[in-house]
Amino acid sequence: MTLTAASRATLPGRHLWRTPEFTLGVIAVAGFLALAVATGGNLLSAGTLGAFFRFLAVPIVIGLSQMVVLAVGQMNLSVGALTGFCAMASAWLMLEAGLPAPLAVLAALLLGLAVGVGNGALVVLTRINGFIVTLATMTIIQGLRYGVNGPDTYQGYSAGLREFGRASILGLPAVFLVAVAVAVLVALFFGRTVTGRQLLASGGSPFAARLSGISHDRSLIIAHGLSGLLAGVAAVLTVAASGSVNATIGDDLLLPSFAAPIIGGVALAGGMVSVTGTLLAAFLIRLVDVMQAQFGINPRWVDLIIGAVVLGAVLLGTVRAKLQERST
Amino acid sequence: MTAQTETAAPPRTPHRIPLWANPRIGLVVLLVVLVVLFSVLRPAFLNTRLTLTPLQSDISVYLVVGLAQLSVLSLGHMNMAVGRMAATSAFTMGLVHDKLGAGLVLSLLAGLAAGALLGALAGLIISRTGVNSFVVTLAMDFALAGLITILYTGVTGGVAFPTMPAAMTSLRFDTFADYCLGDVCGPRVPLVVPFAVLAALLVGLLFRYSRLGREILMTGASPRAAELSGIPTKTRIVQAHALSGLLAALAGFLLAANNGAFSASVGDSFLLPSFLAPVLGGTLLVGGAVSVLGAVLGATLTQVIYKGLNLLQFQLDELQLYIGLVLLAALSLDRARHVLAQRRGSRP
Repeated sequence: MTLTAASRATLPGRHLWRTPEFTLGVIAVAGFLALAVATGGNLLSAGTLGAFFRFLAVPIVIGLSQMVVLAVGQMNLSVGALTGFCAMASAWLMLEAGLPAPLAVLAALLLGLAVGVGNGALVVLTRINGFIVTLATMTIIQGLRYGVNGPDTYQGYSAGLREFGRASILGLPAVFLVAVAVAVLVALFFGRTVTGRQLLASGGSPFAARLSGISHDRSLIIAHGLSGLLAGVAAVLTVAASGSVNATIGDDLLLPSFAAPIIGGVALAGGMVSVTGTLLAAFLIRLVDVMQAQFGINPRWVDLIIGAVVLGAVLLGTVRAKLQERST
Repeated sequence: MTAQTETAAPPRTPHRIPLWANPRIGLVVLLVVLVVLFSVLRPAFLNTRLTLTPLQSDISVYLVVGLAQLSVLSLGHMNMAVGRMAATSAFTMGLVHDKLGAGLVLSLLAGLAAGALLGALAGLIISRTGVNSFVVTLAMDFALAGLITILYTGVTGGVAFPTMPAAMTSLRFDTFADYCLGDVCGPRVPLVVPFAVLAALLVGLLFRYSRLGREILMTGASPRAAELSGIPTKTRIVQAHALSGLLAALAGFLLAANNGAFSASVGDSFLLPSFLAPVLGGTLLVGGAVSVLGAVLGATLTQVIYKGLNLLQFQLDELQLYIGLVLLAALSLDRARHVLAQRRGSRP
């Protein structure tokens, strides 16, 4: 569902089938079925289906991580680098510092949270545009990420964690279920908690929110902190699912982190989020990925297609808004 | 950013900001300090042939990259596709030369036209749909990144064109010292430098004196006010983005000349420096104000830092770390200076 600062009751006559999420859902199901038929049912075999959902987990969480800051009208360019840094840090803790896996996981989450809060604090204290602040911290974090272990790869860490990365519950990979659980928590946060509603309010109109007694600065720090925490979650999922990590982790996450929420219908101006839309968009992007792998298409076509889909999605959104304006 | 452009038009401070609060002065001081520091630590920093001449080539490329970003920052827009626009233009230049046998000038013109068209396309989508420039150019970056590799593989079977115009070899290796009139030879300035200087001059003149440039700035400061004053804001948006694409194409050409090939990797590293140069120089992200001189200083400062840290044999990771820290520090100082200057100024 799309959550805005305004209550849904103020949008009369908005039926389920006219929401962008419904359109996305239909495209997702149709695409999935078409791909299943085109591959002769190969997609539905347990192995392929498991891999499909296992590698959907990180894109979902990273999309949510970007969505949280978009909600307050900010951007976080450091999500990808931060995911890589947290992954490297937790692998270092397990292999070189000898910490048990649960502690290393906790440390990765806390590290993400701390860096995120740092981003937010810098934005609030310096009043520099969040885009520039996170561009700078992205560069710094990339340096730190490389500094953990240079160009070398960490592997052979905690067997339990890797076991968890491969485990399935009722046919669905555990990491995917974790990502869905995180998505549900984020949706509840924005839909049901006072803090979540306050974030949306200050994203929608900082001035109006301030007049209603909501601290915009506080919202900025919370949103950036939450974004960092989610990047930490993505890092843990990467460490668990991939079995080995090196300093390139996260390089290819920045653009997908924007693609998922934007295709999902989240506005860059802030004030609204769509957890379902982000989930479905991540699913669609994964579908394009699998299609490429199944048919041996040049992976570069995937970038081209995703770029075109993002542009198409925003164009469609504008056309729909204009049509709605005309009909009222 | 729509949210920002609407609330843009930062209230002009009625009093004059004192000289010491001018961000450009701070940059010059920082630049001098760093050059002295690097020369003391590594005397090789002042070696003309090994350091200063390549440094000038690098500054030229990244200055033009910065100008490409600056021309849309003037609107309060962003161009996330500078690198890919440069790469697509470099591909066009290579294609026109390699397949059609055109010379340097014709290839360059074809590439510049391709860049300007791509920029205009981005501008057209932004102005027609009202979608945030960040999204449009990011999606364009995605699409072009895929397209470039496909095109290179399809046309050359690799990632670069095997040939380039003969004159580009002189652009790569020669300096003015190689051209003599009798006994008088030029300084050891690479041949790519005049391209960048000319670009900076023209962009500076455009935004300072021409009607077109002033109208673009007004559109950036307040789109509504500009619209109400009879400025065709949509056309101005398209023109500013076309200029950005044109400059990105020029930067791609200069980098290809420096590297010695039209390759798919041209422009890969453009995004961060494209923001560094103008933003360090005092250009605002909200639009309505640009500083070309600041961009020149910003580009010079960044490349001096890269070169200096390189000479001091810093590793790649440390380099990134320090560039990020310098950016944050410079911007925070700038902010502090601004606040101080305002406080002083408001005192009776």
